[in-house]
Amino acid sequence: MKRLSLFTKCLIIFIGCWVFLRFIVGNVISVPIPGSVIAMYMGLIIVAILVHISVEDTRFREFLRPIHETLVDNNRRVRRRVIAVLIPLFLLGYTYSIIAQRTNPPGNPRDAHPSPPLEITYKDEVIGATQEVENPFRHYEKDDPEAFRAHVENGKRVYYDNCFYCHGDDLDGQGHFAPHIQPLPANFQDPGIIPNFQESFLFWRISKGGPGLPAAGTPWDSAMPIWENYLTKDEIWDVILFLSDYTGYQPRTFGEGH
Amino acid sequence: MIRIQQILPNTKITHLILFLAIIPVLQFADAQNVPQASEEGKRVYEKSCAHCHGTEGRGDGSAAENLLPKPRDFTRGLYKIRSTEAGELPTDQDLLDIITKGMPGSSMPGWETALSANERREVVAYIKTFHDGFKEQESPPRQISLAGKIAYSEESVEIGKGLYTELGCIECHGNIGRGDGTSAPTLTDEWGFQTWPANLAQSWNFRGGSDTEDIFKRFIGGLAGSPMPAFEGDSFLNFGLTSAESKRLTELENRDEMTAAEEEESGQYYEKMDAAVNIALNIAEGTELSAEEQQTYTEAMKVVYEKSWHLANYVKSLAPEKRPEPAIGNNVLRSQYVTDALPAKTDAAWDTLESSHFPLVAQVIIEPRQFNPTIDSVNVKSFYNDTEVAFLFTWDDRTHTTAEEDEETGNILEDALAIQFPVKIPQGPTAPKPYFLWGGRLPVYLWQWKASAPDQVTELTAKGINNAEAQAVQSDIQAEGSYTNGQYTLWVKRALKTDDKKDLQLEPGVFVPIAFSAWDGANGDINTKRVISSWYAFVLEPVPSSKRFIYPPLVALLSVGLLLGLRGFVQRRNS
Ligand code: HEC
Ligand code: HEC
Ligand code: HEC
Repeated sequence: MKRLSLFTKCLIIFIGCWVFLRFIVGNVISVPIPGSVIAMYMGLIIVAILVHISVEDTRFREFLRPIHETLVDNNRRVRRRVIAVLIPLFLLGYTYSIIAQRTNPPGNPRDAHPSPPLEITYKDEVIGATQEVENPFRHYEKDDPEAFRAHVENGKRVYYDNCFYCHGDDLDGQGHFAPHIQPLPANFQDPGIIPNFQESFLFWRISKGGPGLPAAGTPWDSAMPIWENYLTKDEIWDVILFLSDYTGYQPRTFGEGH
Repeated sequence: MIRIQQILPNTKITHLILFLAIIPVLQFADAQNVPQASEEGKRVYEKSCAHCHGTEGRGDGSAAENLLPKPRDFTRGLYKIRSTEAGELPTDQDLLDIITKGMPGSSMPGWETALSANERREVVAYIKTFHDGFKEQESPPRQISLAGKIAYSEESVEIGKGLYTELGCIECHGNIGRGDGTSAPTLTDEWGFQTWPANLAQSWNFRGGSDTEDIFKRFIGGLAGSPMPAFEGDSFLNFGLTSAESKRLTELENRDEMTAAEEEESGQYYEKMDAAVNIALNIAEGTELSAEEQQTYTEAMKVVYEKSWHLANYVKSLAPEKRPEPAIGNNVLRSQYVTDALPAKTDAAWDTLESSHFPLVAQVIIEPRQFNPTIDSVNVKSFYNDTEVAFLFTWDDRTHTTAEEDEETGNILEDALAIQFPVKIPQGPTAPKPYFLWGGRLPVYLWQWKASAPDQVTELTAKGINNAEAQAVQSDIQAEGSYTNGQYTLWVKRALKTDDKKDLQLEPGVFVPIAFSAWDGANGDINTKRVISSWYAFVLEPVPSSKRFIYPPLVALLSVGLLLGLRGFVQRRNS
């Protein structure tokens, strides 16, 4: 078999990288890489190829040889004609597709877990600093398991009277109203939620709901209700115990760093 | 060719065949021999079901209070979704299936992922303990045979359509099935709770699934406990007659006068019907049948089954195969450009557009809340020209309520729709929008339509769900609303630009957030009690630019030029 020319090799590397970024990586991490990011990588790859071929004079000439041949050699006539048709055709189609493309609405960038305020409040009553407030019933878990069960049971009642519509019977965010709410209700079975937050954070999210979020959390989109309007402080603490008891996830405690 | 014996030694093949033959048997055994109610079943029930169905299975868990339909009361042994004939209990497999899949259109969830197959089987055994009928059962319940299935065809749909009227489905389900029959608002179930007839155009909300077989089984078996009648032999129209005889009898009955011969003929039909009904009654009482009786009954049932298949095909024809994709994400409400005048409400031009589907959800955020919505979704189409934009909204509502007094509260209830936009279009994806529930700090601009004034839309500005006001200056908005066959149609037209700063100003190509609220007066909807949507997007789809015919050829030509130039350059250097 004939050895591949330097030009062909570079071309293969270039196309290979594009296919890898565009189709393979996107599938593995299951979100397609944005076009601008791919363009940036491809730019880098072109620079790398240019550096590689221009290090030595001979290499540069070897790289140019096939281009040169295609452009002028008499026995490359067929190839020349094919290329002279394909390149303009490709550009024609490509520019048309860009110009005729439908515009899509701007995406909804949203920080799903923005930082809580410094202080936790219930209605107007200050409960304490976010970094210090603990669930007043958590200690029963060790001290008085029976009292703890009673609080979890009450939390369960609160949950199924109020939250399952959106967050689901199995706490998986798939309540019967959930599919048509944007953004989707939180899925507490997701290990990225309860174990990542202190109970004070959950208290803040539950008591103040969507409208209590800072701007980064797009408070105008969230359907999460303001539960301090419906539930007592103790009920909110109880429902937090239930969330962690049902899913088996422990909220983060204050000792652990982020 | 390789023979199978060459790959496997003989004994293994026998095992394989035996094994394959046993699988169905095992599955059958699996379905019928559910283990006796165990501690495990009780544990699962108390963890996952009791808060709705109640610790004692009476359907009175603490969450039941706000739910309609109510969680099933298991003590009565009445089950809607069965593969068994009318009056029979469900099979274990029926219960297992419904627990696995859940009941669409109600709060009964599917447990496929949350509970293991074994846990689901255990809980089936446990819920059976709430009703003694299961223990006293002597023989397995009679199953509905699906053997004579009649395939879907235009013809069958046509026959089904005739039966739909003949059998009185219209009284509950309405002329074309949107659940708007005259008796619709009056129905209650066995427990006295209000029940709405299914909207047959929204088969995604059928409790027992929307396959033709599912629908067929509901007719034959009925939905026990609900007012929806079963085709129990004896209650079926002209039970015992063939289709031809049944037709002839109706014909005779519709005559003003009958001749003596005709009297006799119709008398014979009645005798035949009486005989068949008597046999059906005997069966219900468990009396043994003679071979002849059995034969008569089988023939009578054959007609019922046939008609049910036609009817099932007709019901199937009323709804799309699947719920339309909601206009979430990139699926935007796109208004199409026309150069001439915008189409009027009944113009055929609207049929050329596909509607965008916007599912609506119950408003459970601000008190008073609505936990049991009756309006499923709103479908929208839109056209615009250089100066105006027109919309066509359609949504299903089983009742036409225009200003009716609620007996309990004295409130004046009526059907309504509101379309919501921000007053100022957010610039850029991170710019704040108004709160999706009628605004807050940032105001929203609304079009409010009410069934009592169907040809009028009022402009509102709102800064919160309880903080809306009609604008002092009303722009010129044309509207026309109507109600037919369980569906509202509302046509609205407004100028793209108005002089009022509180109004939304529209421009082609600019994405505008849009959201909806709808009220069903007959469901007690008023003020905050309603169904709502999140923010979606609306755009006046820009006219495809004529540049698309100019630039691409230019670019192509340019590239040809460049290639030629390059070649010339290289040639010159070579020489
Ligand atoms: C109307 C639907 C709805 C109901 C009812 C509802 N939620 Fe939510 N909830 C949401 C949505 C939507 C989100 C995600 C958006 C957001 O972060 O605000 C959410 C988010 C949350 C979060 C934040 C999770 C995170 O990742 O930061 C918590 C905690 C929460 N809900 C708890 C509850 C509890 C407890 C109840 C019942 C007392 C409840 N929710 C009832 C819709 C609802
Ligand atoms: C959120 C409340 C809720 C929970 C939790 C719930 N159900 Fe239901 N269930 C309902 C409702 C509501 C219905 C009645 C729906 C209807 O009639 O349309 C129902 C109906 C049923 C039916 C009757 C089906 C029929 O054919 O009529 C069975 C069986 C059932 N549920 C079993 C269970 C089991 C087992 C569990 C626990 C694993 C469970 N349910 C958990 C609300 C619930
Ligand atoms: C007396 C009123 C009434 C009549 C007559 C009636 N239905 Fe119904 N139908 C109902 C009600 C109520 C429901 C809802 C049952 C439920 O889910 O509780 C229903 C439900 C249905 C369903 C949905 C089943 C499911 O899985 O959810 C279909 C299909 C249906 N009916 C078809 C028909 C047809 C066809 C006829 C005529 C043969 C008919 N109905 C006659 C009241 C009626």
